[in-house]
Parts: sequence; C-alpha cells; structure tokens
Amino acid sequence: MHLILAGLLTGASLYAQNGQVQAYVDRNRIGADEYVNFTIELEGATDFPSLTNPAQNDFIVVSGPNQSSNIQIINGAMKSSITVKWGLAPRRTGELTIPPIEFRSKNKKYKTTPISVTVVESSQKTVSPPSRQSGQNIQSQPSLPQGSKLFLKATPSRTTVYRGEELIVTFDLYFDNVRNFTRQKLPEAQGFWIEEFPAQKQPVVTTEVVDGVAYRKAELQRLALFPTKTGDLVIDPMLVDCEVMAARQRSRSIFDDFFSDNFFGATKVQSISSTPVKITVKPLPEQGQPGDFSGSVGDFSIVSSIDTLQTSQDQAVTLTYVIRGSGNINSIKLPPPKLPASVELFEPKIERETNNRGNHIQGTVKYEYVLIPRSTGTLEIPVIRFVYFDPSRGQYRTVNSRSFSVKVNSRVQNYVSSADRLFKEEIAQLGSDIRFISRSPQTWNRLGSSVFSEFWFWFLNVLAALIAGTAVFYRSWSEKMETNIAFSRRRRAWSNAQGNLQKAETALAQSDYAEFFTRLDRTLAGFVGDRLGLSQAEVGLDRIAENLQKKKADADLIRELVDFLRSLETDRFSPGAVSNHEYNELLETAKSILAKLNKVL
Amino acid sequence: MCMQRAVFVIVFLLTGLSGLLAAGNEIDFLFEKGNEAYFAGNYEEAIRLYETVIQHGFESGYLYYNLGSAYYKQGGTGQSILYYERAKKWLPNDENIDFNLRMANLNVKDRIDLPEEFFLFRWHRNLVNLLSSRQWGMLLALSTLLAAITFAVFWLVDKHKLRAILRIVLIVWVMLLLFSVPMTIQRHNVESRSDQGIILESTVRCLAAPHEGSTELFIIHEGIKVSVRDTDGDWRKIELIDGKQGWVPAGSVGII
Repeated sequence: MHLILAGLLTGASLYAQNGQVQAYVDRNRIGADEYVNFTIELEGATDFPSLTNPAQNDFIVVSGPNQSSNIQIINGAMKSSITVKWGLAPRRTGELTIPPIEFRSKNKKYKTTPISVTVVESSQKTVSPPSRQSGQNIQSQPSLPQGSKLFLKATPSRTTVYRGEELIVTFDLYFDNVRNFTRQKLPEAQGFWIEEFPAQKQPVVTTEVVDGVAYRKAELQRLALFPTKTGDLVIDPMLVDCEVMAARQRSRSIFDDFFSDNFFGATKVQSISSTPVKITVKPLPEQGQPGDFSGSVGDFSIVSSIDTLQTSQDQAVTLTYVIRGSGNINSIKLPPPKLPASVELFEPKIERETNNRGNHIQGTVKYEYVLIPRSTGTLEIPVIRFVYFDPSRGQYRTVNSRSFSVKVNSRVQNYVSSADRLFKEEIAQLGSDIRFISRSPQTWNRLGSSVFSEFWFWFLNVLAALIAGTAVFYRSWSEKMETNIAFSRRRRAWSNAQGNLQKAETALAQSDYAEFFTRLDRTLAGFVGDRLGLSQAEVGLDRIAENLQKKKADADLIRELVDFLRSLETDRFSPGAVSNHEYNELLETAKSILAKLNKVL
Repeated sequence: MCMQRAVFVIVFLLTGLSGLLAAGNEIDFLFEKGNEAYFAGNYEEAIRLYETVIQHGFESGYLYYNLGSAYYKQGGTGQSILYYERAKKWLPNDENIDFNLRMANLNVKDRIDLPEEFFLFRWHRNLVNLLSSRQWGMLLALSTLLAAITFAVFWLVDKHKLRAILRIVLIVWVMLLLFSVPMTIQRHNVESRSDQGIILESTVRCLAAPHEGSTELFIIHEGIKVSVRDTDGDWRKIELIDGKQGWVPAGSVGII
C-alpha cells in the first residue's frame, strides 16, 4: 500500500507546541566539516525578540540569524509563529552542546532546552536516527543521503495488561524527507488476537522534537491487541519501506530534468523497522471470579428480546440476545438459556460485528435462538447472566438479560391434520445411564454350591426311588404271600379264558371237535373257577351254579351258563349232531357269556 | 437303635437348616446396607458391603448385578463387566443385566466382532438358559417323584381302565424326566464353568510364553472377554474370540 505523503515538502506547516518555545536542530549527528541548522520557534509571537548568539565555545555561527514569520488563518482563528535559524559549525569533534538560550518576549521569559550534538570525523558518513536500524539496511543503502532522519516507533498504550484486555499499539513514523512509504509487514504478535484500526489515507503530520531534533511524525498504523495468554509477550517489529529524497546533486546533466519524472530529485528506498515491544500480561484475578465467568474482558451490556409473548404449541419463537460493548468481541461466548426439556432449542445463529472506527475496538454479538415449545402452558425463559471482567475497574461484573414468560396455547386443530402426525411426540432420550440396582430380597446360594449339592434334590430323588421300589416290592411280596393262588388265578382268569377261546378256534379250524368242546368248557368253567377261587374238584355244574348264586349273579345268566355247559357235554359225545355253522354259534355264545360273567365277577 | 439314628438325622438337618437361616439374615442385612449406600451415591461403601457378602461365602445373581453397577458408577469398566457377566451366569434372561452389560461394554476399547451363531446352537442355548440349574433340578426331581408315584399306583391297581390312563401319565412324566436330566447337567456346566474371564487392567500385553520378556504378541484393553485355556504359575493363557492366544499375568484376568 502506498500512501503518498502529499505536501510534506511543499511547506508542510511546522507547528510549535501551544504558546511554547521550541529549539531544535535538523540532526544531531554531523561530520566535523558539516554544520547543523539550529532553529528557535516561538508560537503566538509576531515580533522578533532579541536573542543571544547560540554559538559559544563549541560552535561558530556560519549563517543567520535568519528570521521568518508565519501566519495561518484556519477557520477564522489566526495562528502565528516566528522562527529564527542559525547555521552552526562545530569547532571540534565529540559530544557538543548547544546551550539554552534565554530571552524575553511580550514580557514573558522563555528558556530553550539544551541540545546535544554528536560530531564525528567527516569521513564517517552515518545516518543517525535515534531508533535502531538493522545492519542489512545499512549495507543495502550505503549511500543514504547525509542528514536524512528516519525511524519508526511502536508505542503501546501500556505495558502491563490483563489477559484479554485491549492494548492499543500505535506505530508512528518519524521522518524528515520521505515521499511515501509502503508497509512491508504488519507486526506479528504471538499470543495476541489482533484487530486492525483502519489506516488513514492521509496521515496527519505533526511535529515532534525527539532528543532535540525536530521530526515530522505520521501515524502509520494503530492496532488493538488482545492477549490470549499470560506472561511476557513480545510484539514483533513492523517493517516499512520508505522512499527517501536524495540530496539534489549539483553536477547534473541538463537532460535529467527532462528524463526524470521526479521533479524533486532522485529517491532511495529505505527499509526501517520498529523496535519490538515487550508486554507483561497478568492473569485475571482469581479472587471474586464467579463460577459462570464467560472469559470475556472489556465493558459490555446485554439486551434480550423475543418476537412474541404468546404463541401456540409447535410454533417457533425467536429469542435474541445482543451483547454490546468494547473489548474482544470475537471471544464472547454466551451460555445458552436454561429451558425445560419440553422445549426444543436449536443452535443459535451468531452474528458478530466489530467496529474499529473509534479509539477502541467495539462491537456487538447477536445470538438468535429459535425455540419450539412442545407443550402448552407458561414457558419461562430465565435470565441469562453474562459475567465479564472489567479491567478498568479491576473487578468482575455481571449483566443480566431480561427474562420472559411466554404463554403457549394448545395447538390449533386445523385441517391439515395429516401433516401434524409427523410431529407426534417421541419420548426424548435425555441421557443414558445404567439401570438401577435390584433391591428385592435374594435367595442366597453358597459359593461353589450347585443343584447337586442341594439337599432337596437328593431327597426328592431318593424319595421317588423309595416309592417306586416299595410299590414293586409290595407287589411281588403280596403275590408271594397269596399261596392260595386265588389272587393270581383271579388276575389271570381273563387272559386264561382268552387263551382257551383262542385254542378252541384253532381246534375248530382243524376240525378237532373233541378238543373244541373241551376248550369251550374250560373257557367258561375255568373262568368262573379262577375268579371264584374254586378248586378243581368243585368245578362241577352244581358247584358253579351254587357259587354264582352266592356272588348274587343274575339267575338268567346262571341258567344260561349251566344250560350252555350242559349242551356242550351232550354235543361232545355226539359229534355228528352239530353242523358246521352251529360250531361258530357256540363260539359266539361262549364269548357273550364270558363277557357277561366278566362284568359280574 | 433305628429310632436313635432317625432322631440324630433329624436333629442334624434342623441345626444345619437353622444355621443357614441365621447366616441368611446377616447376609440380607449386609445386602440391604449395600443397597442403601448405592442409593445414597456412596458407591465405594456399597462395593465394600457387597464384597463382604461374597467373603461370607454367599452369592446371588442380583448381588453380582448390584456390585457391577456400583463398579460402573465408580468407573471400573473391567470390574463392572466381570460382575455383570457373573450375574448373567445366574440370571441369563434378565433384561436389566443385558442392558447394563451393553452399557458397560461401550467403554471397552477393543472391538472384536462376534461370529454369527448358528441358529440351532442359539436355540439350544436359549433352551438350556430357560431355567437355572436349580430350577431344572427341581423339575427333574419333581418329575422323578411324580413318575415314581404314578408307577406305584399303576403297579398296585388291577382296574385295567385306570391302568391305561396311568400308563399315559407315566409316559408323560418319564419324558419330562428324561428331558430335564440333560438340561440340568448342561445348565450346571454353564454355571460352574470357570474358563472365561474379563481383562481387569487398562492395558495388558499378551506374551508368547509365560515369563516376562518373551515376545509381545498383542495388546488388549480393560473389559474384553477372553477364554482361559491354561494356567502356569502366575500366568494364564487366554484366547480371544477371534482365536488369538497369549499369556497374561493371572492377576489381570478376572474369572467370571
């Protein structure tokens, strides 16, 4: 960026300080064969006082006193000043002093400050700005014109700040004859957040006397720095390339004027840099720091607003918080409002606006929340506390936003009911944790025990074995004990009868009729005998009938049985008397009688 | 003589039973104290009380569940998983235990994908896990007893209609009995197995041989479930689900 210092050479006014007297030299380091211009400037005076000769022991006056007066009218106010100039040549080398000069003007006594001038051997041609110059620059600019005065100074507003506090650093160029300059590099500063103030297109040029030498001073850059860490921090130098007017050469060709577009003569580019600035950053005080301290440093206020105080369920509400103030706007964090879980709160839209036009960095941060109440009733939006540190007071301060209470009406049941289904509420998972422990009474097991070491297990199994064993044992025992065989005969009666019937059928098939009749007889007589426990001798027809009567059997059944048995006996001995199909009839009759007997016995 | 023996047996049983009941009261008290401590958020005290119960020689599924939860609240991932797994051994179908075990497993660093289980094996495992070994044992014992009673009646009556019914009933009991025998044994094996463990230390190096300084094979982290294949002095040979094997110090594995 080129900023042309227009009018610097065309008689830029050199104002003296208000009503003050100033004495200065054009440079304070000269060769033994050179001279300094010593000027006394008196503001507000119109006539020249009588001045003593400034050259005493160390200097010889080579020119002057040249007097000039300057009257300016700015906005109707007149400013006048007079200057008296001498050319002073040194008598010797070393540190020489131009002594103070006392004079009277308008019945006031004035006294200038003494000015020291270093005189070196004339072979040493040095440029002598009071600021440091990097060796590289001296090497690359060996023939810098004598007497050019140039340095860049970084001035911090203070050297000890709190972390996060605004620190303003001003970079001023002190110069004599510079046409324009280019900023090579903005200073870097580790551990700082940097905000730039806008550079002026036309830097205001003022006069300032440094070490007795008058400089013109232009503010090149102003920076606001916010330290982000504590300790000793360094702001790196700023680099500026300056176009310096070279002294007009005497032996110039006539063509130079035509071919050089530089009316004022040749220029040289000189790079200069400011000195690094050391800043001590203090941590914010621990004492009195509130728990909800936001980390912001500066001076702020908060304003909250809401777009409506009456809404209906599932209707979005816009909630806005604006923090305004001076400080590092970019580091401001606002805690979200604490709302009940029935309200859906979306991520805020954050807008930051930084204003760097004033003397301090100011700005606003806007937090715009959209929230949707999911339940009806009164929704309380609580106060947000914004806690910041005020470095000018050295204490923490809290500003509160307004609280709101919003009335949430129930949703209007409108016609678009199908779309509303999409908003059916789900149970929101608010957190995750393990399930709660069981507090019910426990059934305790011995460590290392198992089902096979349980008493009841073996007890029940042994009991079962005992029951089954006892039953089997009892059965066989009782059978053995029934020597009368009646029991066993009775149990086997049915199967014996069936067996005999089977044999009778076989005999019939083989046409063994004698055997057939015997088997049929045995089937019925044997069954009755077995069931009634009759002995072999008792199985006569009379005995059977008699015993059946005792059992209270049906008389018809008895008669039928006796008749059947009797017919069998007669038929047995006259085999030819019975036809084939009658055998089968006999068999069926026997079966039916047997079935009837089984029911009775 | 016979009488004396019977009296002796009864007295012996009664004293044993009453001793168990008295101990049970004290254990219940400790358990409730532990629950109160947990409820109050004093997890360290809860862990101490629960572990006292175990030191007294008693255990229950929910004791392990509560202990695991207390460890979880304390941030002990490995311990909480170990006790949840133990609780799961006793209460395989408890949904809360499964949930908390899943929560605890979220903190495990190592991710080892379980191979898909063949559905028949899964069904079989679910069937075995349907009841605890004691419940299966009770089913076994009761079906045995009922089978024996049915058999006795069947054996002693002559009414063949009744006998026909009893025969069917007997077959049912015997089938139930035959079914519950392998179930009881398998469930017992599941409960008494001690070949699975949980890594309890945050980082464990698995070595190729059971001595310090042998080749480092791989590193596993707290909470991972391993099979314990072998033991050698103070070392245990573990196997991961994916088949990797290595030796770790015995103290870094908690047997489920």
